[in-house]
Amino acid sequence: MHFEGRSALRKYSISLLVSAGAMLVVSHLVPAPAAAQSANQGKSAAKGQPAKGEGKGGPGGGMLIGPNGDREAVPPPTGPTPRTANGKPDLTGVWFAPKTIRGEPPSMTPWAEAILKSRNPKDDPELHCLPAGVPRMTPYPYKFIQTPAVLVMLFEANIHSYRQVFLDGRGHDPDPDPSWYGDSIGRWEGDSLLVDTIGFNDKFWFDFAGHPHTEDLHITERYRRPDLGHLEVQITIVDPKAYTKPWVINRVSNLSTNWEIHEYICNEFNVDTEHVVGR
Amino acid sequence: MKTNLIVFASLGLLIGVPPLLAHHSFAAEYDGNKPVTVKGTITKVAWVNPHSYLYVSVKDESGQTAVWAFETSSPNALERRGWTRHAVKEGDQVTIEGYRAKDNAKLADGSIHANARSIVMADGRKVFAGSSADDGGPAAK
Repeated sequence: MHFEGRSALRKYSISLLVSAGAMLVVSHLVPAPAAAQSANQGKSAAKGQPAKGEGKGGPGGGMLIGPNGDREAVPPPTGPTPRTANGKPDLTGVWFAPKTIRGEPPSMTPWAEAILKSRNPKDDPELHCLPAGVPRMTPYPYKFIQTPAVLVMLFEANIHSYRQVFLDGRGHDPDPDPSWYGDSIGRWEGDSLLVDTIGFNDKFWFDFAGHPHTEDLHITERYRRPDLGHLEVQITIVDPKAYTKPWVINRVSNLSTNWEIHEYICNEFNVDTEHVVGR
Repeated sequence: MKTNLIVFASLGLLIGVPPLLAHHSFAAEYDGNKPVTVKGTITKVAWVNPHSYLYVSVKDESGQTAVWAFETSSPNALERRGWTRHAVKEGDQVTIEGYRAKDNAKLADGSIHANARSIVMADGRKVFAGSSADDGGPAAK
């Protein structure tokens, strides 16, 4: 990516790099300080910025938590990978605290760069309670229910919706209507579940920054459950009209033993949408 | 190029920065350079998605009363951090630290719009009000 030195562009370039480097596909994992820092560029020494290491608490130390303590601070359980009757790893569970590990920054086509530059956060479909699509993830938990024939992904957020990954050997729908979550089929390769998804619409954004894609988007996900408490996935994004080479990220989630997914009806009280002003 | 920012961002990711607001970034809506601290009486708790709101009636030096609406995280995220819908209730005296909205515009109900970071409860406990201690905005103090 090339940027000019003008301050406005520089400011933009920082958020873009942050996006490319970290926000990427996982808006919620954006290093928060960086996002805020770019907003503070040019102002006095990042006023209002957390000091390094302050994120978990404050100057006085100790994490500020809710009135009844921190009820999510339960570490994932340890143990061997659970398996289904047919011997395959069982990915079933409530998965929490997804952490995404960035790979190479995306290599965008001029078309994608132009789209990205033209986008404003106030137009992010997710802000308007439309789906975040794939593979963008919210900070809220999600649930996998696996049967021999289908893997169902239930999202608390990502507008409280679901994906179905068919494991019964069928092929893709030959002419799928473009959709927010696409048409997914899966097959086992050893202990990895390979999920192949096509048939996306081009409406959702990959992140707050607005990385775009086309209806040619093709996503493969390689899921592994290396032990009882963790779910790993390597995600490969292929969309030649938008990205000049495959864009690969990894994500690890923890098994929650004390939470279920809950309702998240985003449209109920989305009163702040009109007050989002931009980067 | 502000390499330090990029390094900082990468570092943040490596050490696993906790999640930020689910469906909009802090910086897109709130101003880290406009910290506010208000003391007043809770008039309403809107325990609702995608963000809960705490409404606080605040009297200024001239005796004028204004209602502030502080955005917090979603009910589910707050519950996972130790809240319940009963934790703060109408009539409670609280002090809320947060940040003003960038656009300075009131919500449709006429309240002053801000984002809450921490709350000093009626019994003196200071608790967190966002979705995490590092959710895209300046950290809770």
